[in-house]
Formats: sequence, structure tokens, C-alpha cells
Amino acid sequence: MRTDTRKTMVEMRGVTKYYGALKALDNVDLDVYEGERVVIIGPSGSGKSTLLRSINRLEEINAGTIVVDGFDIYDPQVNINKVREEVGMVFQQFNVFPHKTVLENLTLAQIVVRKRSRKEAEDIAYALLDKVGIREKAHVYPTKLSGGQQQRVAIARALAMQPRLMLFDEPTSALDPEMIGEVLDVMVNLAKEGMTMIVVTHEMGFAREVADRVIFMDFGKILEEGSPEHFFVSPTHERAQQFMRQIL
Amino acid sequence: MKFVPDGILVTFEVTVLSIVIALVIGLFTGLGRLSSNRLVNGLASLYVEVIRGIPLLVQLFYIYYGLGRLFQLPPLTSAVAAMAICYGAYMGEIFRAGIQSIPKGQSEAARSLGMTPAQSMYHVILPQAVKTILPPVGNEFVALLKDSSLVSILAVADLLRRGREFASQSFTYFETYTMVALVYLMITLFFSKLISIMEEKIRAD
Ligand SMILES: Nc1ncnc2c1ncn2[C@@H]1O[C@H](COP(=O)(O)OP(=O)(O)O)[C@@H](O)[C@H]1O
Ligand SMILES: [Mg+2]
Repeated sequence: MRTDTRKTMVEMRGVTKYYGALKALDNVDLDVYEGERVVIIGPSGSGKSTLLRSINRLEEINAGTIVVDGFDIYDPQVNINKVREEVGMVFQQFNVFPHKTVLENLTLAQIVVRKRSRKEAEDIAYALLDKVGIREKAHVYPTKLSGGQQQRVAIARALAMQPRLMLFDEPTSALDPEMIGEVLDVMVNLAKEGMTMIVVTHEMGFAREVADRVIFMDFGKILEEGSPEHFFVSPTHERAQQFMRQIL
Repeated sequence: MKFVPDGILVTFEVTVLSIVIALVIGLFTGLGRLSSNRLVNGLASLYVEVIRGIPLLVQLFYIYYGLGRLFQLPPLTSAVAAMAICYGAYMGEIFRAGIQSIPKGQSEAARSLGMTPAQSMYHVILPQAVKTILPPVGNEFVALLKDSSLVSILAVADLLRRGREFASQSFTYFETYTMVALVYLMITLFFSKLISIMEEKIRAD
């Protein structure tokens, strides 16, 4: 049963997206509630990134509607930059700003977008660097850091905006195995604090620990949805069964 | 050969003014060439193509005699305008390549933080693109410095023009032009060296 008292953070209806002739998203409906943790899984090329990136309009869709935090992001009256302030995104390739120190990575958007004072922005930044465990790297350029550290900078950078929703696109896929844990730890803590999160990942341990719901995508569609246990034990769709066998 | 210092000064004046304006034109042309707005993009492309297809000397005459007379511009202004408009097109291509050399993830990260396209360009893309842009801009500077001798044909008293005047008064053509050539050579060698040192430093970072 659906608890409709919860606020909807993301509401997608009939979302369809083409790359040329290729249908990357095929009539997708998805609701994500405030405080919910949704993990998206699926084979490479199934449309997971496209789905995630359509939520903050990094990808333009061809049909359907997307409402984020109450704002129809395709409404010409809606300023997409305002919506993005509330939606943090973490990328597979980190995308830290190499010309800025770690601290500056965290303060830049706070200052130019949120219009905070430098002092206020730095206070917030230091608190987050403590939280992700790299305060001592505040004045280092991120290219000097390991992948795991860079990704933690990227997460802290997104959190510094104090977003209401966090999107993660395979945040540990580009990492050496020994660094995956430190990034997942940060994400687990974030989940415990109640952050609304949509996470594309194949880390099923993470899914089991934090996910309220797992979504399986293939061919640009949501083929199956359920608890992490459901996918471990008895996925119904044949493609989902195949996929689970591959990754476990 | 007292004309040399004054001549160098005017040559520098033309070169520096032209390059500064060309940089501004180049920035906007490069951005225009990358714009998804068809009109903006079309205009920027048209500008680059037209300028690249016309010899600089013809452009100088066109702006000096055509537009300069029409708007009563002083010679130096017309000369600088012509040089800047010409080099702006080349700068545009340098800016475009520099901006394109920055991975798409950088602007996506900036935009995902709520930055506007302008904020993303100013705070994230351009500071990184500068590394790619600076060395070819340095080369353009040296090229412009040499090309600035063309303005001597107009009534601008640069190094070459002063040399020519000096030579025709003193009848020391060989000596004067040797001097002029050597001065140009020294200046360009100096700047070329400076640029390669700068390139080294950038690469070392
Ligand atoms: N920029 C793009 N241009 C063309 N095709 C793309 C682009 N991005 C993704 N695609 C295609 O869209 C499909 C879905 O891609 P994506 O959402 O990245 O899948 P996933 O993240 O699940 O691996 C794939 O077939 C992919 O090749
Ligand atoms: Mg992907």
C-alpha cells in the first residue's frame, strides 16, 4: 500500500527520450518520495544514466513530464538552475574542478549560486570535509588525491549546497576496489541521516543496507521493482534473473 | 637612426591594442561558434569564414579607406580596428578549441550545482581552458606584431614607416632596412622565447 502522506520528491510520467533513432527511455513512470532511497540497477546501456540525468535536466526528454520537489522542470516559468540547487549529483568520473583546491571545490557554488559569504561557505565546507574524512586535504588540489578521495570531495561538494535530493550515477564504478568502501561508507551515512537518494549502482551490498526499493531497468524501461531481498531471492523477470546471476 | 625607439613604440601600441581587442572579439566569437543558438552560431561562423578568406592587407584598405573615411576615424584607430577584427577571427578558433578541450563533465558538474551557463564558463571552463589557449595566443601575438608592419602603408608612423621615411631622406636604404629587419627579428625572438618559457611552465603544472 502507498503511504500518500509522504511528499513526492520526483514524479516522472511517460518519460521518453531518444538519441537519434535509439529509444533510451521508453515511457517511464517513477515516483520517489521524500526520505526514500532508491537503487537503480540494470545492464550497461539500459538507460540508467539517462533516467538519472533527466531528473536534473542534464538530458532533455522528448515526451512526458518530470516534477522535482514540486516543480515541473519543463515549465518555462520554472528556473531550472533553482531546481538544480536542490538536487545534488555525483558522477562516475567524479568531475571535481582540477583548478580549485578541495576547499574551493566545496565553496564555489555556495558562494556564486547560494550567495553565501566566504566565511559561511568555508564553515559548511570544513564540516563536510570532516564528515567525509578529508579535512586535512582542504588546501590540496584534487588531482593530487586518490580516486576515492576525489569522489568524496565530489560528494561533499554536492552536499555543500544542502540539497533535498541526491543523485548518484555509478559513484564507485571508476574506483579501484580498495577505495569503494570509503565512498560507500559516506553514502550509507548520508542515507542514515535521511537524505532522499537515487543511486545507480551495482553494489548490491549497499542496496541491501540502505535501499527502500530497487528498480531494474532494461531497454529504457523499468522492468521490475521491489525490495533488495526480492531481487536477491526471486526476481520475476527473466532479464532481471540473468542480470542478478551476472553481478552476484 | 633616432626613428627606432619611436617606431618601436608605435608598433607596440598597434600590436598591444589590437591583440587585446582581438582577444575580446575572439572570446565572444569562440562562444558564438559553440552556441546552440542557430543565429548566433551562424553569425560567428560567417565572421570567421569571411575574415579568413580575405587577405589582411585588403581588410586594412577596406576598413581604413572604406569605413575609416566614412566614420572619420583617425588612422591609428582604423588600423587597430582592422588588425583586431582580422585577428579576432583567428582568436575565435583558438578560444573554441580551448573551451572544447575541457571535458563535458566539468560543465555538467557546474550546471548540476545550479550554476548558469555564464557562471560555469567563467568559474569552471575558462580558467581551465586558459592553459590550452595561452600558447597559441602567444603565437598570434608574434604573428600580429609582424603583420602590424602592414599599417605602415596607411598613415601610421610605426617602425617600418619611420624607417622608410628615414631611408628616403638619408638615402641609406640598405643600412636602414637592415636595421628595421634586425629590430623586428630581435623583438619577435624575444617574445617567442618568452612564450616557449611560458609553455614549459604550463606543461610543468
Ligand atoms: N549522448 C548520447 N548520444 C547517443 N546515444 C547515447 C548517448 N548517451 C547514451 N546513449 C545511448 O543510450 C542508451 C542508454 O544509455 P545510458 O543511459 O548511458 O545507459 P546506462 O547508464 O544504463 O549504461 C545506450 O544505448 C547508449 O549508448
Ligand atoms: Mg550509465
